[in-house]
Amino acid sequence: MADMVQRIAKKLYQGDIEAVGELVQDALDAGMAPGEVLKDALLAGMDEVGRDFKEGVLFVPEVLFAARAMHAGMDLLRPLLADSEIASSGKCVLGTVKGDLHDIGKNLVTMMLEGGGFEAIDLGIDLEPGTFVDAVREHKPDVVGMSALLTTTMLQMKATIEALEEAGLRDSVKIMIGGAPVTAAFAVQIGADAYAPDAATAVEMARELMA
Amino acid sequence: MEHPQTNVNAQITPHYRGMTDDQCRLIHRASLEILERTGVLLYYQPAVDLLKKAGCYVEENRVRIPAHLVEWALRAAPSHIRLYDRSGKPALQLGDRISNFGTGSDCLHILDHRTNERRDALCQDIVDGIRVADAMPHIDFIMSMFLPSDAPDAADVRQMEGMLNYSAKPICFVTYEWEGTAEIIDMLEVVAGGAEQLQARPTAILYINPTSGFRHNEEALRKLMYVAEKHLPCVYWPEVGRGLTCPITFAGAMACSNAGHLAGLVIAQLVNEGAPVALCTAVPFSLDMKTMVVPYVDPDCKAFGLEMSHYYNLPAFNWGGMSDSKLLDEQAIMEATLSLFVATINGGNLIHDVGYMESGLMGSLELVVICDEIISWLKASMQGLEINEETLALDVIHEHALSGDFLGAEHTLRHVREDWQPRLIDRHNYEQWMAGGGTSMRERARAKIDEILGAEPRHILPPDIEKRIRTITERVIAASGGISLKD
Repeated sequence: MADMVQRIAKKLYQGDIEAVGELVQDALDAGMAPGEVLKDALLAGMDEVGRDFKEGVLFVPEVLFAARAMHAGMDLLRPLLADSEIASSGKCVLGTVKGDLHDIGKNLVTMMLEGGGFEAIDLGIDLEPGTFVDAVREHKPDVVGMSALLTTTMLQMKATIEALEEAGLRDSVKIMIGGAPVTAAFAVQIGADAYAPDAATAVEMARELMA
Repeated sequence: MEHPQTNVNAQITPHYRGMTDDQCRLIHRASLEILERTGVLLYYQPAVDLLKKAGCYVEENRVRIPAHLVEWALRAAPSHIRLYDRSGKPALQLGDRISNFGTGSDCLHILDHRTNERRDALCQDIVDGIRVADAMPHIDFIMSMFLPSDAPDAADVRQMEGMLNYSAKPICFVTYEWEGTAEIIDMLEVVAGGAEQLQARPTAILYINPTSGFRHNEEALRKLMYVAEKHLPCVYWPEVGRGLTCPITFAGAMACSNAGHLAGLVIAQLVNEGAPVALCTAVPFSLDMKTMVVPYVDPDCKAFGLEMSHYYNLPAFNWGGMSDSKLLDEQAIMEATLSLFVATINGGNLIHDVGYMESGLMGSLELVVICDEIISWLKASMQGLEINEETLALDVIHEHALSGDFLGAEHTLRHVREDWQPRLIDRHNYEQWMAGGGTSMRERARAKIDEILGAEPRHILPPDIEKRIRTITERVIAASGGISLKD
């Protein structure tokens, strides 16, 4: 079994979507518990991916394919897992703020969060503050992630936080922001809870915010 | 010429090409297919309507543009844009392979030349940056350099006020939202003496940055259509990132970038045939796929895509004189030099971002001053060879060669001032250099900045015009709910 776990983790690291699907099925057929496959093979594999990404060993497209391989495995496990086993690290809603159509950074963070065991809901791009407010009402997330690539749209983050305050929802969530022009000082200035300079750190930050 | 001679070809400048005409044709064809088959998404209904009326295939906001329309727009657009200085004299020619150099806009931080520390940029830094750029003989046009942290509201209007007040050079400017764009153009019209005067002798070019080659956001399109309507020049540059918003391979990336630019060109020409637009047609950007940082300087050379602009005979926007370094160190100077060289030899017309560091997030006045010297050097090195009776000087050779004394020759005196002279580079011998303070190039750059900023600011506008500009600025600030600037 240990061998099986290692093979899944290795194929996941290599981003081999098909192989991960097959191996997860093999592991289940061999009688391995779905919860074990998830924890020891998939999540452990993604941890290694996250670590090596942060170390500068892996390139972003390689991480993307690893995350997709994890999803391929998850798709097989999900119907078999008890709710308690699925219990994610936390729930995040993410989006790019109003006026900004950039989505690559936000997509990457979504993907890495999912890889890190979070349930991540991607709200899209060019989002009015009200859209974030509605999403918080609907999904009751632990973390709200906002992205902006432009110096001109980053101020919309402030507007969104204010909208959450007005709706009385600010204290129900932690707010994490990121994007090329965004800084830790800016996060403090607009009253966000955390700033992540890159997608791998975003996962660590989200974990810290959950703690 | 005493004795006629035929068939002599002279190369009056260095010659370089990054792509052949056939390669350009392949990229052009690919871009036409992209526009006709895949199309682009336009997030501004008037632009969609305009294209639909012109015969494009429209499904909601997805617009597919037929090849003939693109090729019509390429014929309709002017091959040159002439920019004027504040007194109405022609200052820049954008077109062919003529290179002009200028600063960048909206850096969040400044590498303070006084303290060598990185800090948030302030309104005063904008004024200082403009004054330094204005004083540099080889900075041909100015941009605002900084986004002020002490006045983020209506910063674009404040930047324009500063540029108009403190420099007479042509301006390349950015507006943030749609709001404020018309007022900023009003300011330019006030200075030019009216809308028609500005149209006839444009002093500024609007830099528009749509989201990507395939997604053109509302504000970018609105601005594009507005300036096209007014027949004012603009740069339309959709960012296309290799491996992100287009294929990672260069050829496909160039075709996508080119397609995005051409979509903008078609819209501008449909609004107003002959609208002056500068593109950077086939220049995708690269990312560091480990960090997702966009390096500003990169040997995968964005610059050879400029061949497409030359192929189309359209003015070309480009970059030079910047660095990814956080320090004004060896990397900074190396990258600034190489980027200026590559942009120049590829024939970029509007080479901007001189003085950018930290991948566009920080600006350095010292780097601007050092780049001025690099540009001066490049200008001299791009001069070709002149071979004629006077420069061959056979009679002078015959007269002086055997005595070995050309120093006292009349001919030497006549041409002695033609060689390039440094302003910042030191070429003294050791003792002379020590006697002059034994300074580094950076120290000399810093001294130059102190000298410029220590002098009384030069207000180039008549007081009544300056006041009218101020009134517009105040009005926009008030409308944006921001705090007024101290005078």
